[in-house]
Amino acid sequence: MRAGWHEFRLRLKALFMRRRMDREMAEELAFHQAMLREKAMRNGSTEEEAATAARRAFGNPSRWHERLRELWQFQPLENLARDFSFSFRLLGKSPGFTFVAIATLALGFGANMGIFSLINALLLRPLPVPHSEQLVAVGFDEHGPFGPNYGVSAPIVREMEKQKDLFSGIFAYNTNSETQIRGASGNERATAQFVTGQFFSTLETPPLLGRVLSPADDLKGAGLSVVISEAFWKSWFGGTQQVIGRKLVVDSGVFTVVGVMPGSFFGADPTVRPAFFVPLASEEILHAPKSWVAMGNHAWWLTIMGRLRPDVTLGSANAALSTRTLPLLRAAQWEPDRLKDDEEHHANFSAIPGSRGFTYLRRVFRRPLVAIFAMCGGILLLACLNLASLLLARSAARTQEIATRLALGASRTALVRQLLIESFLVAMGGVGLGLAVAPMIGRSLSAILLGNNSRMTLIDTSLDVRVWFFAVSTAVVASVIIGLVPALRATSRGLYRGLRQGRTMEPGERRRWTPRLLLSLEVSLAVILLVCAGLLTTSLVRLYRTGAGFDAQGLVGLTFDMDRKKMAPREVIPLYQQIEEELRRQPGVRQVSFVNVMPLIGMQWTNRLSSQHAKDQTVYMSRIAPDYFDTMRIPLLRGRDFRWTDSATDTEKVILNKKAATMLFGDQDPIGRTVLSGPAREGQQPRPIQVIGVVADTKYSGLRENFNPIGYSALTQADDETATYFAVVRTSGATGPLASAARGIAHRLAPDIPAPTMMTMQSVLNDSIGTERMMAMLSVYFAGCALLVTAIGLYGTLSYETARRTSEIGIRMALGAQRGQVVRMVYKENTWIAFSGAAAGLIIAILASRALASFLYETSGRDPWVLIVSVAALVAVASAASLLPAIRAARVDPMAAIRTE
Amino acid sequence: MGKETDSGELIQGTLEMLVLKALLRGPMHGYGVAEWIQQTSQQVLRVEEGALYPALHRLELRGLLQSKWGASENNRRAKFYQLTVEGNKRLQAESQRWARLSAAVAFVMQAS
Repeated sequence: MRAGWHEFRLRLKALFMRRRMDREMAEELAFHQAMLREKAMRNGSTEEEAATAARRAFGNPSRWHERLRELWQFQPLENLARDFSFSFRLLGKSPGFTFVAIATLALGFGANMGIFSLINALLLRPLPVPHSEQLVAVGFDEHGPFGPNYGVSAPIVREMEKQKDLFSGIFAYNTNSETQIRGASGNERATAQFVTGQFFSTLETPPLLGRVLSPADDLKGAGLSVVISEAFWKSWFGGTQQVIGRKLVVDSGVFTVVGVMPGSFFGADPTVRPAFFVPLASEEILHAPKSWVAMGNHAWWLTIMGRLRPDVTLGSANAALSTRTLPLLRAAQWEPDRLKDDEEHHANFSAIPGSRGFTYLRRVFRRPLVAIFAMCGGILLLACLNLASLLLARSAARTQEIATRLALGASRTALVRQLLIESFLVAMGGVGLGLAVAPMIGRSLSAILLGNNSRMTLIDTSLDVRVWFFAVSTAVVASVIIGLVPALRATSRGLYRGLRQGRTMEPGERRRWTPRLLLSLEVSLAVILLVCAGLLTTSLVRLYRTGAGFDAQGLVGLTFDMDRKKMAPREVIPLYQQIEEELRRQPGVRQVSFVNVMPLIGMQWTNRLSSQHAKDQTVYMSRIAPDYFDTMRIPLLRGRDFRWTDSATDTEKVILNKKAATMLFGDQDPIGRTVLSGPAREGQQPRPIQVIGVVADTKYSGLRENFNPIGYSALTQADDETATYFAVVRTSGATGPLASAARGIAHRLAPDIPAPTMMTMQSVLNDSIGTERMMAMLSVYFAGCALLVTAIGLYGTLSYETARRTSEIGIRMALGAQRGQVVRMVYKENTWIAFSGAAAGLIIAILASRALASFLYETSGRDPWVLIVSVAALVAVASAASLLPAIRAARVDPMAAIRTE
Repeated sequence: MGKETDSGELIQGTLEMLVLKALLRGPMHGYGVAEWIQQTSQQVLRVEEGALYPALHRLELRGLLQSKWGASENNRRAKFYQLTVEGNKRLQAESQRWARLSAAVAFVMQAS
């Protein structure tokens, strides 16, 4: 063993210091010759005779040298190096093939890596806190249709905090809250997170500076303390060490900075990066007069997470939580009606593993991401199959060369090794390039997702161990798939028999079976991807075409957030009227109105309305200013719009959409009739409301939903505390100046409210179906790639295959076959692949369409048009790829073809 | 590593033994080894240079010899070979084997 190692070391040394070795050998030889010459001269020879004698003794010095060098050679390594350089030269000789091969592989690999890094970041990466595996998230399951609720009310949080026998620490947080912080140069927005007292102690992350928040900070009446993030410390306080004890004015509260958290810490929700953490108890002060804590069990907004005691398992924790549910709810002042309801439905608290933290985005993105991941996998598999069949065809086309090499004494292993190295080089090239472009693809994928949810930008998609592991294993699997088939083929006996006979072609069916199977597989994969893309796109087009019911083009929304402004309802109307007048004066503005529930952004407000015809119907509500329908271009079907003169002292009025009108009044004319508004609050009598108009249907909270009944009430008749409205502006001008104008207006008319934010309705529309858009876009992209890759693969492989049959075709033509017949024959044999593959793909696509069903809107997973068009597109592409080699084959000059044999 | 398919296996093995024996006296260059064998065998054994150097290099590769560059007796740069501990052991084993072998051969040849 040691001797072997010694030899290995010396040979390796020789390999790397080859020139020095050569020089030394030459020197050794020269020395010996010199000594021989001297000896001869000592014995009385002349110098010339001595030199001749010495040369004779040595023979051919270069041969001598060669023998020594061979002795030192590192045989396997040098053979490998030779094979590599040969493979490089071969690949370099067909740059088109190499480019396509590497590019398709890079594409598949890059897309997979990109998606996986997103999946890793959102679904797999554990929280960067000690022993994250002990963490759990606690949900409340009332056995409703949407599963457990992971947003609970503050009283439940306070009761849950007492379950110390189960949890070594338990805390709650809200995802994020936009706050205003007061600086020297005006207000700025910052993201805060409300956390309970045990938040930091449970997450066990020590602060960078100062101390963390403790349960004592989270008591009513405690001094206002804040722990800030490292990023905020640097940007707001300039990273000064003397930050502890400094004041920070958040909304209306004056906080004292007690600590700074390190940059790696972001809490328990991986999709937010709060600038600072404030105690939950301070919410009542910050959000007054609309505090969520004060709303008690009416506001469900906090996520509970805990760290299980070492002796408590998830199962025993769940069992305990289940039995404690009702007492806990009772202690949290649950409303008696609801408590009875929950008792009947066996509502219970339950814990799920929380090592990766908790975010709602997981629920939203898990299935789309996994679906896209599957499509990516399909593309990669397609690229691998494509490469395998191309390499196979190439090695078959190289039969003559291989036969020659065999005849010259090359061993089979050497040939197989060379073929494998060629596959390996292609695979490595593709994987390397794929790795290089993966971050770019990952970024562009996040950018597509970003349209849907800007919080996705915050997730950390950086590469980590899991991504590398995935990369390596994918690369290995891909290389094996690519290299295995050609290698197996090369070792098969049939091939050798053919080779030994020195035949350049052997058109037996058996020999062309493998590449054909590969190509059929490829075609069927492409069909599946095409069907996916077709279904998702059809669904998206239907979403757009069904539309929102209003004209989003040129429509802009502006938020005027008056939640924190203490105003009597009477003061609100003149303020908004003023804002309207000012906005109308801006260049390009055609129409302005206000609405409190912006459509399509997921906001909801419902009421119960009753008529003689239908009792107690749930209707979505919107409070609007006059001209809303005109601004939105929602057709007013009957009756009239609101006016600024409709005042709170008049009878309360409502405008219904068509759906609501039909629901409440059937086909009777609702104008002038009265509906009863259900008890908005307990103990109140139903109020009579007069219907004054009917408008066309629109989508309410999202584009994907059906048209729902909507009732519109007047801003001028508002009596609730909220005075926050969105301005909707129809403009033909640029939106940039409008945004700054709106900020100016808000600053003048209501200096203490946050600067208005602007959104174009088109982007709201797009965001509302962001996931659908993302999936459709990506699937179309993948399908395009699949189509391209398949076309290239088919064309390449079939060209090789057909080229191998040149002499056969030549003989057929010499025997009188017409060109047309030849074309038909070759074409028929080649399109067989396309048809069998397409048929198989179609069957699989139909079977698998159920997996896509939940992503589709008013589109069947077996939509015949989509299926027909996908198959037709593929067959067309495949036919074109098969026809070209067939036509080329028919151009063969029979004499030339036969002569080459 | 590479197979040694030399037809003169015995000769080669013997040459290697002789080389090892020559180097028992101390470090020496290739020419010296050849000369020593030739002189000691009273001009009977003439070592071919074409066989000597491959043998020396092979022994070096196997770790039985070490090489070092140094100055020769007439002040030229020359490659000196030296026995390693392994080489010494091998030499002893080979000498014993050779003694047995030559005695056996002599025995056979003396038989009438």
